Amino acid sequence: MNNTLIKAYQTAVVLSLLLLVPLVAGAYDIPGITGTPGSPVFNLTTGTGTVVTGEGNQVHMWLFGVAGGTVQYTGPTLIVNEGDTVTINLTNNLPVPVSLVIPGMNVTAAVAAGPGPALPGILTKEVPADNGATTVAYTFTATQPGTYLYHSGTNPSLEVEMGLLGALIVRPAGYDAVTNRIAYNDPASTYTHENLFLLTDIDVRFHNAVENGNLTNIDFADYRREYWFINGRNLPDTLAAQNTPLLPFQPYNAIARLNPGQTILYRMIGAGRDGHPFHTHGNHHLNIGSQGQLMGAGASLAWNAFTTAVYPGDTFDALMTWTGQGIGWDVYGHASDIDNPPLGFSTGGAPGPEDFDNNGNGVYDQCNDANNLAQPGEDPAAHCVPLPVIMPNIQDLTFGMFYSGSPFLGAFGALPPGEGGFNANAGFFFMQHSHSERELTNFNIFPGGMATFLIVEPPSAPVQ
Amino acid sequence: MKKGLIIIPAFLLMFIAFGLSSAQAHVFFQCPCLDDPAATGVVKAHGNIECSVGGQSIACKHMTAGDGFATTADGSETYIFGFHDVTNLYPPNGVYATKDEADAIVSTDGLLAAETSAPTINVQENQDFYLTLSIVPMVIRPDLFDPHTVHFHGYPNASAIFDGEPMSSISTNQGASLTYYYNLTGRPGTYMYHCHVEASEHMQMGMLGNLFVRAADDTTAYNTADTGFDVEYPIQVISFDPKFHQADQDIQPLPFAEMLDVYPMFNGRGYPDTINPNDLPPPQQKIDGRASIETISPTQSSQKVPSRITATAGQTILLRLSSLATVDIYTITAGGLPLQIVGKDARIYKGQSNPAGTPLFQTVNSVNIGGGESFDLLIDTTGIAPGTYFLYTSNLNELANNLQEFGGMMTEIVIAP
Repeated sequence: MNNTLIKAYQTAVVLSLLLLVPLVAGAYDIPGITGTPGSPVFNLTTGTGTVVTGEGNQVHMWLFGVAGGTVQYTGPTLIVNEGDTVTINLTNNLPVPVSLVIPGMNVTAAVAAGPGPALPGILTKEVPADNGATTVAYTFTATQPGTYLYHSGTNPSLEVEMGLLGALIVRPAGYDAVTNRIAYNDPASTYTHENLFLLTDIDVRFHNAVENGNLTNIDFADYRREYWFINGRNLPDTLAAQNTPLLPFQPYNAIARLNPGQTILYRMIGAGRDGHPFHTHGNHHLNIGSQGQLMGAGASLAWNAFTTAVYPGDTFDALMTWTGQGIGWDVYGHASDIDNPPLGFSTGGAPGPEDFDNNGNGVYDQCNDANNLAQPGEDPAAHCVPLPVIMPNIQDLTFGMFYSGSPFLGAFGALPPGEGGFNANAGFFFMQHSHSERELTNFNIFPGGMATFLIVEPPSAPVQ
Repeated sequence: MKKGLIIIPAFLLMFIAFGLSSAQAHVFFQCPCLDDPAATGVVKAHGNIECSVGGQSIACKHMTAGDGFATTADGSETYIFGFHDVTNLYPPNGVYATKDEADAIVSTDGLLAAETSAPTINVQENQDFYLTLSIVPMVIRPDLFDPHTVHFHGYPNASAIFDGEPMSSISTNQGASLTYYYNLTGRPGTYMYHCHVEASEHMQMGMLGNLFVRAADDTTAYNTADTGFDVEYPIQVISFDPKFHQADQDIQPLPFAEMLDVYPMFNGRGYPDTINPNDLPPPQQKIDGRASIETISPTQSSQKVPSRITATAGQTILLRLSSLATVDIYTITAGGLPLQIVGKDARIYKGQSNPAGTPLFQTVNSVNIGGGESFDLLIDTTGIAPGTYFLYTSNLNELANNLQEFGGMMTEIVIAP
């Protein structure tokens, strides 16, 4: 592994973690744009932008954005409510016609302003390349809650590759941001937090050809992927702050965080050329919906997966949680001292650097101590069970940047100088990534690509 | 000058003393079956050391991680990274009479000993599983100081410490051992395991293996009558890109973007090696390499996992199908034999993954499988004419061993009368 690169990553990530700001008390949502309830209107436009990849390359893109604002990769996430009559007014600042299709929605298109006319197009009416003069309105009724993809329907093999795509979220009629956080009109779809994983991939050679005005020489049969994205960013930028000025055309990150027992709704969308088997470390996820359909009343047909293959055009709504149940040892480290002998060992040792003093009283914690009551939701069978294995010497290990230094949730431990340090609350970090492992690179540089992390934060660090 | 002369030896002494006292890496197999005087019924079974301590069933396994060579079905030899099983060195009935003797030999036994597929891990849900991984140097790439890990892929409600994903956790340096612990209660199913250090490289290089947890009622996959079976076979989809492996061997930049798998395999072998029920002979480069270093133990096969499936007509076959291919998604078919999907990702394939839930079972002619997915597939051979059938990828271009035609990701299902 390239250590210089890792250090650069670490700096970037520490900056970004410092910038994490709680949004709404108690829960976080997918960032996006909303409109007037009942009849939201989104004024979108297109333009060129430059995407910065995880290893620092710059890629020429064609992108959607809010009119008057900055275009972005991926496009603005549109958030509407079930039953809304949605209007998207699209103007075009690209050298080619563009349009909008939303698989799953019955969309009508008509010129709303400007000289027109709309180009007839094949999939839908198109906005001509006239520097924003003509506005075409795309209108539909959001009949079915769920997760959707929108993208250009004009020469999509090129234009979607170039970045003209985004996510649409339709909230169910019974949804309330505070009191009833549901994905579908069913209590079985209730969640605490919400994350989008919009999965894309590109071949940078096409983008270079477009930038050089060499459109006629693009051969889609000869393709090769070098970059894989979640919400328009590669690892490690998936962990950087939202709207960081370092990534002016990539406002969305992909950090998932929860406290034990909470549930995150993952909205996964396949929007690349390849399918991506998306693997969740830490736990299975429960696929409760797909393509805007709940899997049975009460999600009775939902199924657990540790990897969901998200093919192009697929959307999945999955519930992700983590409780630590059944792990077989006390993940909160209530057990007295991991140098006390586990089963089968006659002698323990002095407290080591991995032991901790929970209440700061100078005494290594004992499990019968009143300060070491079980956490709410903790596995009672595991409470006070010591870590069952003896850890190697610190010199025999390599430490990850997100390792707290301790096996226990919420506990820090001593680490060699320069190791760890990017785990502010001593949480458990679990990679969420494409399991086509080649896709964990940024143009031949490992690590990178289609990966982010779920952070299980200890109860002492409430996730908001 | 005099001061300098004094200071230097003192510094050296400190360095040496420090080196000897606290920084000594060593192989250490932690196994209650061998460590705990209270252990009873200590046996070798299922490739593990198994016993009971205080009423709790325990399984232990010890593997090394390092480099080596494998033979592809066209006769080529390819450089690999991999795991190697050293459990057989340990008592009871091991190559060595005591644990200490075996511990002392592990670091040479593991040199150039990588296997692909990795040793199959076969455990049962009522067991506590202690898996020790000892890291040996990379003989062909001594410039690589890579640590290695085991990622128990799919273990639910995992901890960071035993997850093996190195950015979030610890990984073990060469010369040292780490024991991973897994409580398996309530977690039957078909998983897989692999090294997660520099995963794009280490997995393409072959650090991949089958891992399944037998149900408490191990005549079934998930303790239900409708997941019952007579014989079970782990089948893992793996593919190699020889250019990538050669670049790794030759200390060249690694071509991730251009990765092109042309050796599609089951369990680390292409057809017709898949139907060889025996260990494949060790590659010549492995024999030569181990002859040139001081290894005491005999050179073993690099490919010990056959995938020839046999059953008697009327029996039900459980295919524990998983994929750890690093590039492509494959479709797997059994030709004329219907496959019933009864499990997905180590959970029964029913609503809410509940054994009492609505069955989502599907009878299909093929399944799509991407990297990191698993399926439990039943083949009921009742009424099937005895004979030889084939399990193969219906990505028919993958039925080749690089330039050699009609090989690749294919094996036989032999139904005996």
